[in-house]
Amino acid sequence: MANRTWKIARRGNAQLPLIIVLALAVVLVLVGKAQSGLFDAARVRITDWMAPALSQVRAPLDGAERWAGSIGEIFRVYEENLKLKDENARLRQWRNTSVVLEGRVRHYEKLLNAVPDLELNAVLARVIGRANRPFLRTMVLDAGTANGARPGQAVMDENGMIGRLYLTGKQTSWVILLTDINSRIPVSIAPGGVQAVLAGDNSAGPRLDMIAPNTRIKAGDQVVSSGDGGLLPSGLSIGTVVADGGGFRVALLADSAQSESVQILNFARLQEAPPATATLPAEAAGLKPVPPPAPVTAIATTAPQPGELTTKPKQKPFVMPPLSPAAPDAGSE
Amino acid sequence: MGTTEKLHAPAVLRFLTALVPLLCGLVGVFIANIPISFVSVVVPPPLLGLAPVYFWCLVRPDLMTPAAAFTIGMLEDVMSGAPPGVWTLAFVLSYALVARQRESFAGLGGLGAVLGFAACAFAAITAAYAIVGVYYGRVPPLGPMVVQLAMTVAFYVPATYLVSTIHHRVIGPLRSDF
Repeated sequence: MANRTWKIARRGNAQLPLIIVLALAVVLVLVGKAQSGLFDAARVRITDWMAPALSQVRAPLDGAERWAGSIGEIFRVYEENLKLKDENARLRQWRNTSVVLEGRVRHYEKLLNAVPDLELNAVLARVIGRANRPFLRTMVLDAGTANGARPGQAVMDENGMIGRLYLTGKQTSWVILLTDINSRIPVSIAPGGVQAVLAGDNSAGPRLDMIAPNTRIKAGDQVVSSGDGGLLPSGLSIGTVVADGGGFRVALLADSAQSESVQILNFARLQEAPPATATLPAEAAGLKPVPPPAPVTAIATTAPQPGELTTKPKQKPFVMPPLSPAAPDAGSE
Repeated sequence: MGTTEKLHAPAVLRFLTALVPLLCGLVGVFIANIPISFVSVVVPPPLLGLAPVYFWCLVRPDLMTPAAAFTIGMLEDVMSGAPPGVWTLAFVLSYALVARQRESFAGLGGLGAVLGFAACAFAAITAAYAIVGVYYGRVPPLGPMVVQLAMTVAFYVPATYLVSTIHHRVIGPLRSDF
């Protein structure tokens, strides 16, 4: 019996010689090239399965890290307290300023009947795993489709953007970091609004690609997401420009190695509906739109000579009425 | 009836024992790719699945088959997030290298054994590097690969000690008919 089992095993090996397995591996690479998400379902299932254990293991590690990090902080509490008080006072001033400015912006938006900004809602998620692999830099979050997370959504910490979700399971998500070799983000560089692509290359500072020629960028410029393509919201803080030889890189504001809690921004670009006629700014100001020209019923029998008009303009040229309360049409209601 | 049961039980046990090298490789891949590690945040994790492939390819190639190397490499692909097939092909290629030069590798001892495994790991990582380069159409950064090679070689001695112990205590007594 034992010999029979042994013979079966050897016969099974003979059916799969090295050449066949090599060919299968090559086929797998080719299929994987065509369908890069071949293993995605298996990946998220394994991560979902591991999520409770990861959370349990992560908790004491986080506690130990916090405890170890707090030892040095004890000696700097007084100085930190003074700094925080000063910073708090300045932030209160800025808060008052921002409240005034926000009210002013809302007033202007109302006057212009502007399309309001999209409201972003966010899901708070905890980092339960990190991995720094040669072909993937990722972190695992404890929020998945059950929490509203979807692939493509931006992930932020308190300082700036960390990356995007690229795999979502039911309870967990994988984040592709901005530093990953596969990461490409359309960005805008302020001041000037220069458009570029932030490309990760597994180094700490991703590089700026696709910069239009004859544009001026200097170290220290701010980099934010541009929102091109509608995949990400515009204006997300990313980092500052750093010169790197002949090119530029970006020093990221977010620290993916230290972030413990992150926000997943739920962003979906809404289809902008054209405003109703009655709510157009000109209508709201009491200006009647110019009626469209009457269709031409008679066809000219002779071709017009150069410099000769086929029809004479009978309407008076449109003149902008004064924008005052005494205007007859504007104040008729 | 009693005689049949006595014969049947060892056969099942022997069959399960034959799966031990594969399971060791899979467990190695799983442990190396758990996203909680003191080293994985700073440096890439080692290829722990490669040590069982190398060890049993030399010691008991009947138990570490090309199909087993294929399966271990595929799990590495799944868990590491690499493009599909990269580590699968890399593991099978390194297996082919070791299988062809088995006599040479098996005769190495001490530091030579470590260098032999380093050559195997170098083959696997170089293959993965080249495949990813073709896959993405650009040259991937070399630094992480070099660090991963160093990590893999550094973990070879403890990993081999473990698989050697498993081999002598589990596989040796039950499957010594090779």
